[in-house]
Amino acid sequence: MSEPTMTGTEKNDKQPENARRRVGVYLLHAAGNQASAESCRSIAEYLTKELGVAVARTLAVSSLLDQAELARELQTAKLDTVVLASEHPGLYKAAFARAVGKAELRLVALGERVDAELEQAKAMVAAAVQGVPFRVPLESQPTSFNPATLVIGGGVAGIQAALEIAESGNKVYLLERTGTIGGRMAMFDKTFPTLDCAACILTPKMVAVGQSPNIELMVLSEVQEVTGSAGAFKVKVLKHATRIDASACVACGDCARFCPVSVASEFDMGIASRKGIFIPFPQAVPNAYMIDPAYCTWVQSGGKKCGACAKKCSKGAVHLDAQDETVEIEVGNIIVSTGYDMLDAGRIERYGYGKHPNVLTSLEFERLSNASGPTGGKIVLKTLQMNKRTKKEEWVFEPDGPKPKAVAIVHCVGSRDQNYNAYCSRVCCMYSLKFAHLVREKLPDAKCYEYYIDMRAFGKGYEEFHERIRGEGVSLVRGRSAQVEERDSQLYIKGEDVNSGHLIELPVDMVLLSVGLQPSHGAAELSEKLGIRLDGDGWFQESDYNGEPNSTGRKGIYLAGVCQGPKDIPDTVAQASAAAAHALRSIVGATHKQDEAGVPPVSAEKTASLSAQS
Amino acid sequence: MAVRANPNLIDELEHYGAHDASKCYQCGNCSAVCTHSVEPYVFPRKSMHYLQMGLERPLRSSLDPWLCYYCGECSEQCPRGAEPGETMMGLRRWLIAQYDFTGISRFLYRSGVNALLAVLLLALLTGLGFLAFGFLAGGGSLAVYDGAAAFLPAHYVHIFDWTMGITLALLLGINSVRMWHFTMHGEHEIPVPLSVYLRRVMLLPVHFFTQKKFKECKNQRPWALHLMLMLSYTTMLILIMFFLKFMQAGPQMNWYAHTFGYLASIGLVTTVTLAVSGRLKKDETYHRYSHESDWIFLALLLYVSITGILQHILHRAGLPMAANLTYVAHLMGVVPMLVLEVPFGKWSHLAYRPLAIYLARVRKDALAIQTRTIKTQSATTLGAPAPASPAV
Repeated sequence: MSEPTMTGTEKNDKQPENARRRVGVYLLHAAGNQASAESCRSIAEYLTKELGVAVARTLAVSSLLDQAELARELQTAKLDTVVLASEHPGLYKAAFARAVGKAELRLVALGERVDAELEQAKAMVAAAVQGVPFRVPLESQPTSFNPATLVIGGGVAGIQAALEIAESGNKVYLLERTGTIGGRMAMFDKTFPTLDCAACILTPKMVAVGQSPNIELMVLSEVQEVTGSAGAFKVKVLKHATRIDASACVACGDCARFCPVSVASEFDMGIASRKGIFIPFPQAVPNAYMIDPAYCTWVQSGGKKCGACAKKCSKGAVHLDAQDETVEIEVGNIIVSTGYDMLDAGRIERYGYGKHPNVLTSLEFERLSNASGPTGGKIVLKTLQMNKRTKKEEWVFEPDGPKPKAVAIVHCVGSRDQNYNAYCSRVCCMYSLKFAHLVREKLPDAKCYEYYIDMRAFGKGYEEFHERIRGEGVSLVRGRSAQVEERDSQLYIKGEDVNSGHLIELPVDMVLLSVGLQPSHGAAELSEKLGIRLDGDGWFQESDYNGEPNSTGRKGIYLAGVCQGPKDIPDTVAQASAAAAHALRSIVGATHKQDEAGVPPVSAEKTASLSAQS
Repeated sequence: MAVRANPNLIDELEHYGAHDASKCYQCGNCSAVCTHSVEPYVFPRKSMHYLQMGLERPLRSSLDPWLCYYCGECSEQCPRGAEPGETMMGLRRWLIAQYDFTGISRFLYRSGVNALLAVLLLALLTGLGFLAFGFLAGGGSLAVYDGAAAFLPAHYVHIFDWTMGITLALLLGINSVRMWHFTMHGEHEIPVPLSVYLRRVMLLPVHFFTQKKFKECKNQRPWALHLMLMLSYTTMLILIMFFLKFMQAGPQMNWYAHTFGYLASIGLVTTVTLAVSGRLKKDETYHRYSHESDWIFLALLLYVSITGILQHILHRAGLPMAANLTYVAHLMGVVPMLVLEVPFGKWSHLAYRPLAIYLARVRKDALAIQTRTIKTQSATTLGAPAPASPAV
């Protein structure tokens, strides 16, 4: 006891009070969060010593609580009042309500960082134990919740989330690292299992983003620094100069015709070329050209040479000397939708990617098969052509190139492989089947072999799609192909047909590697800037696998799409809408609270709920 | 009729050093990367599957494990860490135990303690036996090393060597016959004409002495070292079995014999030292896992080489008593090493490997003959209607 002068009588006066009402306190913290666990223990110690509660327990909470065990414990302790303190007490309210029986349940919502606000947390729990009949604001909330949202990454997830929020009338900043939104999906030819044209679904959404008055699109932009907390984030954004005035550019392409520089197109995965001044693809949003300073003759020569584009532009849209700028934006919520990269297939030497010209990665094939690709969607082989500019022979796709007579598709390239990525990339089985369909559809005479280990057709309509492709004359070989070799200008693919136990080697003209997905480059740096965690594979860590797959460890920051883990387009879009719902909940909630006169803007779950006492 | 499966087989194999076979998800990558995996012997994936399913009979009649030389390529490329190379190694140990009709091999392989106790017991018996023999029947004096009055006279040791040699060869022979029976008359038995057996018989000495299959592995260093070890040991064996009296005579040197002896000693010590350091360092995939039996074998080999060299030095240095005692100590290593390793342990592969290569070839030839016969038969059957319509 803190007062040494306290007399026995006084103690006796208190004793019956405590003896009459037995209070138990349960402090819940996330399993694995050491700082939080330590704080909870210190609160428990304080409660036992200073307030004489009957039970003060800390519990490391995983997604499941053993309810039977909990009920037994609570009954044995013969408690009159149970105080449940946690960051999200509401999540466990149901479980506790069942377990406490007739005892009274009081909830306390602790702050996100209990260790930093330990004294406040102690006071809150103590208030609940004593039954203080007033509401306690639990953390210093910003006086107003900024309704603007930052969406990082302009793929289909970012687009979907941005549109959901913008259409509710709230401001969205959509940040994109490349020169256009659309992401990976914009590169695809068809989607599985419906075989819809990917662009037909995505382009209207992209256009809607471009036209929305509520969306401020920032391309060639990167997050530099994030400060503040939910409701009042301050984000520094580095905007690389496109050197083109997008509002003046009409994408006529005159500039590119005169640009002397030619480099591999990122959008076409390097199987086609673009100019130093370019538009990633014709339907790009924003629909304007941009200059790649790494290759621009004018930039590289310090303004001494070239400058042809600026001279030829009839709209005067080219500003070669434009500079990068850093802008600061203020938002209430952040949605992360940074997507994925493909594993570098060159790392797996035995498939000969980079060595044999007609061994392609999946995204390269998407571009080849796409009507907007370099061959207009014709599936042809690369041929050796003289590059007039460099005077070197190069392997290139020509629309009238030779057609492959046999195509092999290899599943699980770099996936389900502990030497690369141990996880399943989830989309490859289905896109491989889609490739087989495209090959058989466009080249009915070509043989098509698929080497798979296990066929993962788990989604709605996927198994039916699998059956359909099997019926289209595709040979499915159960077994991982081990190597691709070239002998006498003929590719051979070798592997064990596990079903028969025979080693088979097939002559093929083209090999498609179904390369797995891996976190987008820069995800780790972004996680540090945002103060959110990555999981063991480098994807962003959701706060609860089942219950909160969109949330991060930080309030106001949500996840959408593949950046949280490999997933297909329908799941990505659904998750993006869900992330938007999270953001909108806090925006709408804050607005609603502000309407209540005289009450500080504190959300209901942030309040020590003392229902029965008041 | 269904095949009987032994669900405990995969656990049983843990004793033999195969720990990770359950991780295999049957992608067949290993079978395709292995240079030895050639039709009709496609492995190791199938053996991994048999093991997971507990199919004892097909495994016992499989030659596949003996066609693997454990270069480690399959394990390095395995996407699951299922260690197919180590599994094949474990299967070879298990097969040695299966071929052995006495059950001793199983007893030794299943526990390192068993093996160690067996070594010590045999060493003790050997030591006591030779000391008793030396005092009672030999020269009687520890102070004489060579000549007719030697503590252990060469001609008596010679008789002992030959008796032991013939006994061990007989045991290994019986086990080899069992191996032939399991593999050629086990699962998927096919008729094999005697002519095929005879035609391929030269494969046995060729593969015994050259081990050229081992050379086909991507890494050739293990082959070179293994060949050096084998040749060194064979040289030593020939010297002891046929030229013991020249070796033991002294103190003047018989250079015809001793030049070979020195070369063989250098070969033995070098290769065994490299093997030990490789297994300690674990840099190479094939050295990553060592079974107790591997260590006991190497320890015995090293001990025997060193004591052998030492007794030779002591004898030439004019210390006959020390030389005699070292000689007994040397024999205390030689006898357990040969008795336990040749018919029941790792060393039995000196017979099983060439035999497996030979039988694999014989079986392949027989399969080809069978296929030809079936083709001819079906051709005759199909051709039958032709003479039935001669009216045309």
